[in-house]
Amino acid sequence: MSTQATTPDRLTKAVMNLPRRDARDKLQGRTRYTVDDTDAGLLHAAFRRAEIASGRILRIDTIAARAMPGVKAIATAEDAPGLHGIGIADHPLFADEVVRYHGEPLAVVAATTLDQARAAAAAIEVEIEPLPACLTMEQSLAADAPLIHPDWQSYEILKDGAARGGNVAWEATVVRGDTDAAFARDDVTIVEGTYQVGRQSHVPFEPRAVVADYEDGRFHIRTSTQVPWTVRHVTAKVLGVAESRVRVTVPAVGGGFGLKFDCSLEPFAAILARKTGRRVSLVNSRREEQMTCLSRENADILIRSAVTADGRILGREATVLMDCGAYGGEQVFLTTMTAHTLGGNYRLESVRLSSRAVYTNTPPNGAFRACNGVYNTFALERHTDEICAAIGMDPMEFRRRNVVGDGDLGATGQVFEGDVLRPMLDLALTKHGPHDGRTHTDDGRLYGRATTVGTWFIFVGPSAATVNLNADGSATLVTSGVEIGSGTMVQSLPQIVAANLGLHPDDVIVKTADTDASGRDLGVGGGRTTVSIGAASEAACEEVRQKLLRVAAQMLQTSEEQLVLKDGRVEIVGRPGSGTSIQTVIAQAEADIGPISGSGAFTAPGIPAMPGCAAGHFIDAIDIPVFAVHDCELAVDPDTGAVEILSYRVVQDVGRALNPRAVHSQIQGGVTQGIGYALHEDITINAQGAFDQAGFSDYRIPTALDTLPIDFHLYEGAPSCGPLGTKGAGEVPILNVGATIACALARATGQAANQLPLTAPRVMALMDGAGPDLRFPHISRRWSDNTIAFRD
Amino acid sequence: MTISLTINGDPLEYSGDPRRTLLSVLRNDLRLTGAKEVCGEGFCGACTVHVDGAPKVACLIPMGTLSGRSITTIEGLGAPDMLNAVQQAFVDHDVVQCGMCFPGMVLSMSHFLAETPHPTRDEIKRAMTGNLCRCTGYERIVDALASIAPAQEALS
Repeated sequence: MSTQATTPDRLTKAVMNLPRRDARDKLQGRTRYTVDDTDAGLLHAAFRRAEIASGRILRIDTIAARAMPGVKAIATAEDAPGLHGIGIADHPLFADEVVRYHGEPLAVVAATTLDQARAAAAAIEVEIEPLPACLTMEQSLAADAPLIHPDWQSYEILKDGAARGGNVAWEATVVRGDTDAAFARDDVTIVEGTYQVGRQSHVPFEPRAVVADYEDGRFHIRTSTQVPWTVRHVTAKVLGVAESRVRVTVPAVGGGFGLKFDCSLEPFAAILARKTGRRVSLVNSRREEQMTCLSRENADILIRSAVTADGRILGREATVLMDCGAYGGEQVFLTTMTAHTLGGNYRLESVRLSSRAVYTNTPPNGAFRACNGVYNTFALERHTDEICAAIGMDPMEFRRRNVVGDGDLGATGQVFEGDVLRPMLDLALTKHGPHDGRTHTDDGRLYGRATTVGTWFIFVGPSAATVNLNADGSATLVTSGVEIGSGTMVQSLPQIVAANLGLHPDDVIVKTADTDASGRDLGVGGGRTTVSIGAASEAACEEVRQKLLRVAAQMLQTSEEQLVLKDGRVEIVGRPGSGTSIQTVIAQAEADIGPISGSGAFTAPGIPAMPGCAAGHFIDAIDIPVFAVHDCELAVDPDTGAVEILSYRVVQDVGRALNPRAVHSQIQGGVTQGIGYALHEDITINAQGAFDQAGFSDYRIPTALDTLPIDFHLYEGAPSCGPLGTKGAGEVPILNVGATIACALARATGQAANQLPLTAPRVMALMDGAGPDLRFPHISRRWSDNTIAFRD
Repeated sequence: MTISLTINGDPLEYSGDPRRTLLSVLRNDLRLTGAKEVCGEGFCGACTVHVDGAPKVACLIPMGTLSGRSITTIEGLGAPDMLNAVQQAFVDHDVVQCGMCFPGMVLSMSHFLAETPHPTRDEIKRAMTGNLCRCTGYERIVDALASIAPAQEALS
């Protein structure tokens, strides 16, 4: 478009360390999150949850509970007939006929006070006959395992093309090239490794929370969510009403990290609002939040590689079992992402991958910052170090030779554009120096250092934006974005709009999501907000610019091409002060054509994959790859197994950093979350199918003493279809933290650090030669046995 | 039995259940929602208030123990148009993310700096272990706090 400012010009204007406009209120305790809606007149709701992992519901009697003081309504399965899910509709709102996990909602009560609601919930009479439970994937995949969803064949399929069956909720496979031939060659070394990770809990400081109302025959849901349109869709689906009857608005969100990338409490509160005609608040207690957390899933992984003496990977086969818990949820989608992480990083001449979401009688899992990328990268990088040990090659040299670059194929046959990882590795090597041969710290602890690479993606997808130009010369950006803490809504988006319209970002008002006002959007997550909403916003600005310049050209007796928007004015190119204020043009426009607004939309067209090599996938390839190089030095106390991180250094592919200071915040925070994942955030599931960790006292998130200043370099200029060349920067910092710490710890101890988290007792056991049993009887060494689609 | 105390300088006559927590009364009765209920067991510090000038976690304090006490919450710190040095440093260093931990962080660290005007980085981190944060990874908060003492010296 001829009138559009050039990219370098817009980029220059857009890049700045804009401070957050929401900081002051947050620091003064004035920000009202969903949990802060404590107004008088609100009803409070509480769940009655199952306390058994698997059982048949014989009786739920609410009569006595209904008669208790303050009780206004009770809802059960009969109030929500619909099933929802991702890929398959397998999830009822309430346990219906059977209980599939400890903590599953049986009923929800609305009462005048929270204490009354809890008392009534406890008074509901429940009779459940215990059924055999599968608490591990090994149990679920046993030949005689009970089916967690006996009716799986009758479920509505929301996405075609996947193999399913038994306790396998979803299977995604990749077959590219002939791995059998590669493994059969006599000039290859075959390296096999098994890896296991536990769950990670997000622990957002604001738990999942909602206030629902029923207004003019429609539901109004105010909620702490990352995905207003998903909440709208799922609420309508499970309640059996038209989606247009649900409105979702979102106040400031007190942390998400992916936990709030799914509909959760909203439909329950909506039902109670309709039943009572009152506003209903439903907030998870911290115990509920922990015990039913849609965690980063636990996983069991087998990788086998056929590698030549000079380090070429001729063949790779892998099976990844992802525990989805009692319902498929996000793991169904995430099976796709195994291809782009295990099949990422390195050139593979042939590859076969099986990625399976496996039902267990445990709480359902969900999305968590970089999702399965985090543990697939851990498994892949440990495996890579095992390959290097087996063929006697320096790990850095192996990585430099093999990382994907311009023209190389991804797992599903997509062709990567640009050399990114190799220059990033070289930069890291130059900046951080080569690994010396140090084995101990000065105080006698075991020393290890590792450098790893990671490949992840920006989850693009559809976004819409409207920009209204106001008479005072300010602009209002209307999107379905929400501010979860990462700063997108208060930093990158106003910076983008301001750069496009020649305004200061303070003159850009950013409206937070209201599904009655803003267009459809996939949600805030997957590193997509700056990219997708940013691109839609740029498109909306372009329409505004064109209208504005058309009017201004008439006023200033020149052509549109001769005009630029700058500092709140429309100026003739090369003649500062010759033009007029933007307010004057807006006033003229109101007289000529009416108020100026523009709408914009974005979606990535989708990168093609090699036909026929991927099955059960939600995306064929990754539209915007994003890469990271991490380097860690650590010390292990040989007497206690305690690990101290001595240095942590990141080179991150950001495309373009619009607000470098804010990106640094994401790196510092993301790496710290990764340190918790790698070392001490541990969830164990007991014989009742419940988590042993119910709160802050036993689920240990990092304190100030558990982290350190993270050194960082923002690598710019890699190709991206994002606006101004941006990529999302908030998700990827956590990607290879578990990998880097495990690889460094393996070098420090000389042991296979192939299980996360590496708690001090586990590290002691490793050093004592009593590491975990990772033989995985439920994963066959014959790859096709681990599939439905290719099994003989 | 009625308990008399002050909240942000205003007198409060409380005659409810003495076992209720201060946090519940602040949030649900007085609608002072700056103190956040996050862990509910004294680990996270998000509900920190000042009791007679010293930081305490409001989720563990029964109302019955507060007779004659003076409570300051984040809403009572300074004036609406005036940030204190800690709040201003947090703005200047762009440390805020989701924001849930910051009311407690501000109250704890304001008291700490008043007591320890020239802290080392390590002292700041140790003082901060009672205030957890899930977003920031802490170090930028430490940077902000470390900047305050030298800045105050430069002014004086």
